[in-house]
Amino acid sequence: MNLKNLKLRHYINYIVIGLMTLVLSIITFTGGRFDNSMLFLLEKVAISIILAVSLSLVVGFLGELSLGHAGFMCVGAYLGGKVASLLVPYLGNGVLALVIALVVGCAAAAFCGVIIGIPALRLRGDYLAIVTLAFGEIVKSLFQNSSDESFGGSLGLETPRFDKSYLFIIAFVLVLLTLAIVQNLIRSKHGRAITAIRDNEIAARASGINVTKYKLLAFILSAAFAGIAGVLYSYSNYTVQSMKFGYNYSIEILVMVVLGGMGSINGSIIAAALITYLNTKLATILTGDLAVLQNLLYALILIVIIIYNNAPALKGFRDKYNIGVLAEKIIKQHRDPAHVKDDKAKWDVVPTKISMDEILSVDMNPQDNAPQKKQKGDK
Amino acid sequence: MKFLKTTALILTAVMCMGIFTGCTGTQSGYTSDNTEFIIGVSGPLTGGAAMYGQAVANSAQIAVDEINAAGGLNGIKFKLVATDDMHDATKVSTNYSSMLEGGMQVSLGTVTTAPGLEFKNLSVDDNVFFLTPSASGDDIPTNDNGYQMCFADGNQGKVAAEFVNENFSGQTIGAFYKSDEAYSKGIYDQFKANLDPSVTVIETSFSDANATDFSTQIDTLKECSFIFMPTYYTPASLFMTQAKDTIPVGAVYYGCDGFDGIDSIEGFDITTIPQSVTMLSHFNSKATEGPAKVFIDKYVARYGAATLNQFGASAYDCVYAIYGAMQKAIDEGEKISVTISASDLCDILKEQFQGGYTLSNAVTGDSISWDSTGYVNKIAIQYVIKEAN
Amino acid sequence: MELIFSTLINGLSLGGIYAMIALGYTMVYGIAKLLNFAHGDIIMVGGYIIYVFLATNNPLLAVAMAVVGCVILGVCVEKVAYRPLRGASPLAVLITAIGVSNLLQSLAQIIFGSAPKMATVYDFGVVKLMGATIQISSLVTLGVAFAVMTALTLFVKYTRIGRAMIAVSEDRDAAQLMGINVNSIITITFAIGSALAALAGLFYLLKAPSVSSTLGSMPGIKAFTAAVIGGIGSIPGAMLGGILLGMVESISYKITAIAPYTDAIEFSILIIILLVRPTGFLGKKRREKV
Repeated sequence: MNLKNLKLRHYINYIVIGLMTLVLSIITFTGGRFDNSMLFLLEKVAISIILAVSLSLVVGFLGELSLGHAGFMCVGAYLGGKVASLLVPYLGNGVLALVIALVVGCAAAAFCGVIIGIPALRLRGDYLAIVTLAFGEIVKSLFQNSSDESFGGSLGLETPRFDKSYLFIIAFVLVLLTLAIVQNLIRSKHGRAITAIRDNEIAARASGINVTKYKLLAFILSAAFAGIAGVLYSYSNYTVQSMKFGYNYSIEILVMVVLGGMGSINGSIIAAALITYLNTKLATILTGDLAVLQNLLYALILIVIIIYNNAPALKGFRDKYNIGVLAEKIIKQHRDPAHVKDDKAKWDVVPTKISMDEILSVDMNPQDNAPQKKQKGDK
Repeated sequence: MKFLKTTALILTAVMCMGIFTGCTGTQSGYTSDNTEFIIGVSGPLTGGAAMYGQAVANSAQIAVDEINAAGGLNGIKFKLVATDDMHDATKVSTNYSSMLEGGMQVSLGTVTTAPGLEFKNLSVDDNVFFLTPSASGDDIPTNDNGYQMCFADGNQGKVAAEFVNENFSGQTIGAFYKSDEAYSKGIYDQFKANLDPSVTVIETSFSDANATDFSTQIDTLKECSFIFMPTYYTPASLFMTQAKDTIPVGAVYYGCDGFDGIDSIEGFDITTIPQSVTMLSHFNSKATEGPAKVFIDKYVARYGAATLNQFGASAYDCVYAIYGAMQKAIDEGEKISVTISASDLCDILKEQFQGGYTLSNAVTGDSISWDSTGYVNKIAIQYVIKEAN
Repeated sequence: MELIFSTLINGLSLGGIYAMIALGYTMVYGIAKLLNFAHGDIIMVGGYIIYVFLATNNPLLAVAMAVVGCVILGVCVEKVAYRPLRGASPLAVLITAIGVSNLLQSLAQIIFGSAPKMATVYDFGVVKLMGATIQISSLVTLGVAFAVMTALTLFVKYTRIGRAMIAVSEDRDAAQLMGINVNSIITITFAIGSALAALAGLFYLLKAPSVSSTLGSMPGIKAFTAAVIGGIGSIPGAMLGGILLGMVESISYKITAIAPYTDAIEFSILIIILLVRPTGFLGKKRREKV
């Protein structure tokens, strides 16, 4: 790798997460102890980030809508958890058992990724979305009705819980691993092929891109990381209960990806962390009779943010008053003209394939949300 | 755009760091600022199971208010904190840790079984005493810090099976349960395991997906004159409404404690059901005398009858059981200060509950004690809610 | 024989309800290109409105109010939550729909409390047909569902507004150029979809007289599945998909061994059908042009 190309902004997310993990690990290993609530929150944030980044690969970069991400996670959680519960009596509840569980969970989820990736080649848009949703519900139902000896049935599978003081460190190392793999993939020629399929599948095929291969690749990778998140989940809970993995949870992950901005990994990370934090905070603040307000507030916040971020009518307002612009005004008085022109494309309005009609109509009607610039990762 | 993202990332990082600083603490320090004893409970206050969680939160609040009005424990008052887990085990860790760090000293555990499995493991690590009103799973009280106020599912199934073996030997009976619910399936599995081989069972189940339309299940059971229904009262009442012309008149619906409240559902007139309805329970929400009657009047006056059920009655008793045990410990010379840590209080309470502590004249039983595992010892009464027409 | 017959009727009437919901889904999708995840919750609102107005002891009034109320709600939701996002990414609209769904459920719990409300609209009683005991309400459901579908098909085919709907669903921009007011067409679509949801709410209450804040969520998903099986955007397709799903569900619950797996079976059938026919039974195949 050429050092000249090593731009800070490409690696800022590794650096921030890496530094944070390092600082927290140092505190932990030098005898500091965090509150449980803090540790639980960190674990949840890490799991959410892995889920959001991996889903972003399919939704944001490949442009296929997936509503079954929690299903892959469920497979990972149950199989990883089962392997862990079998191994822990022999290997102890240590890193070795965890790594084996991770490998198994990851492989199982990736296998399911193949199963779902194959219909993905034939279906498009909302038809694929419903197939992924159906897959998630099938997986949930199968584990729900498993026998007590195999996967615990309706009461869920009892899994070993990793020492809570240290699990978050492993979780964040896995976040870094996920980032490294997904981000490098996106920035490679394979990543460009995937985004080319999103922007125009026929054109991509015509340019000699192996659409089958790259679609499968995206689905399998995405599923594999969801599986890793699942194993982490099983390690951060005493029981794995399939009820959790319904379409509602898949949608929650999707919300993270969409809020973070389609095709923006950093956006997904920030949104995943903030949404998880928000949910936890709402749950701790609104207790007793106020609990019913949790969902209400969450829904309102969601609607307002989405409309504010996406409404075409508010575009002028957004461009004038957002954190970036304001910060830019404060920090950087004189703008470099070279940067102003650069990359004005809004990634959240790039149409995904679920609106094939709109992409087609774009050709006739250029002012209607046309992606002005195709790529961002490959600059 | 890139600048924007970099800025946003840095801002987030700064924010995260802000959250992290000053977060270290030790467990014993959580209760040092308490001015009241804090009781915590985690239950479904929203979502599909919300009425059970609300019944528990409401009833426990009634009990706490009564104790406080009577002067508390040697002048120290109690405070109830109820958090919402939406019947989802994943939410329990957040609820539990926030309550513990907020000064919780003793707990009512969780309202439902599935989240309870998470709660029992979290609480045993920190040695926090819990007495759950209604998480009836057989595995809930197996740790030494956990106790149950309701009957464990397995025991209910066994008792019901004994009843059937005695009365329906060699006959065919029907069974209707919810296949994806721990409570229903837990009872049914034990019921089946203890059933005499001479009894034939026609079983039907349902799951969340069609929790309101039971025409298919009714059709399957239409020749049965005894139907075992280990479900909660909402699906049961729907089943009965839809089945009143199909199931033979004079058939018996036999339920467990989940049936309680079936005769007080708004808009459901149990007298229009031609079949007979019987339940095996520790509480009858139509009680006309005794402590149960007193509790029912208080609850209805304050919260209305819509959420009155055995969950609440149990929760009311739980608060009094904990209060009584603390009082007894003090009488025996223990020192319980308002800032006692959860772990110390747990040791005191464990000693009491293991040492034959008995709650008498309670809403759900005249004399309630606990065995060494943590299962409750009290008498299950067979209530005939409605005779056949 | 009678077993088969009663299972058939049960399946058909359940399918009728799914079809009603699926019709709403499919019309909104066809015209606004929006997966309206809040559609299921309109059913729940309809159920609650019926519950409230049953206090007047006039079931017909209650049903009428439910239809009116749901239509107003559907149009308001469209105006407030979806219209500002017209032209934005479809995913943003999807998330907003999910937000609306959560919002409606929370509001319902705040207003009506957590315990389900029992609402017996009207007791039609039972009838003996070929030895099987059949709820008359099932037959009513089935009849109304077929009537509604026929009416809708005719409406879309033969009225100006209906044809404008087809035009908008084919090509929104071209329709606009031809002088069709796309916004009002979309509003009308939402109104029709919501009215159907209110009727679905009524049929749910006829089947099982209980309404709670989560009443609509699973039927919503099932109906979405039905709409996709039939070919999303197609009105007869929605009916076909709904009936098929209802039948499968009813038969599966009949067989003890597979009853717990009913959901899994239904969704597997969906996947298999889509693998064979990628756009559902009656969905239009779209050729992509470069």
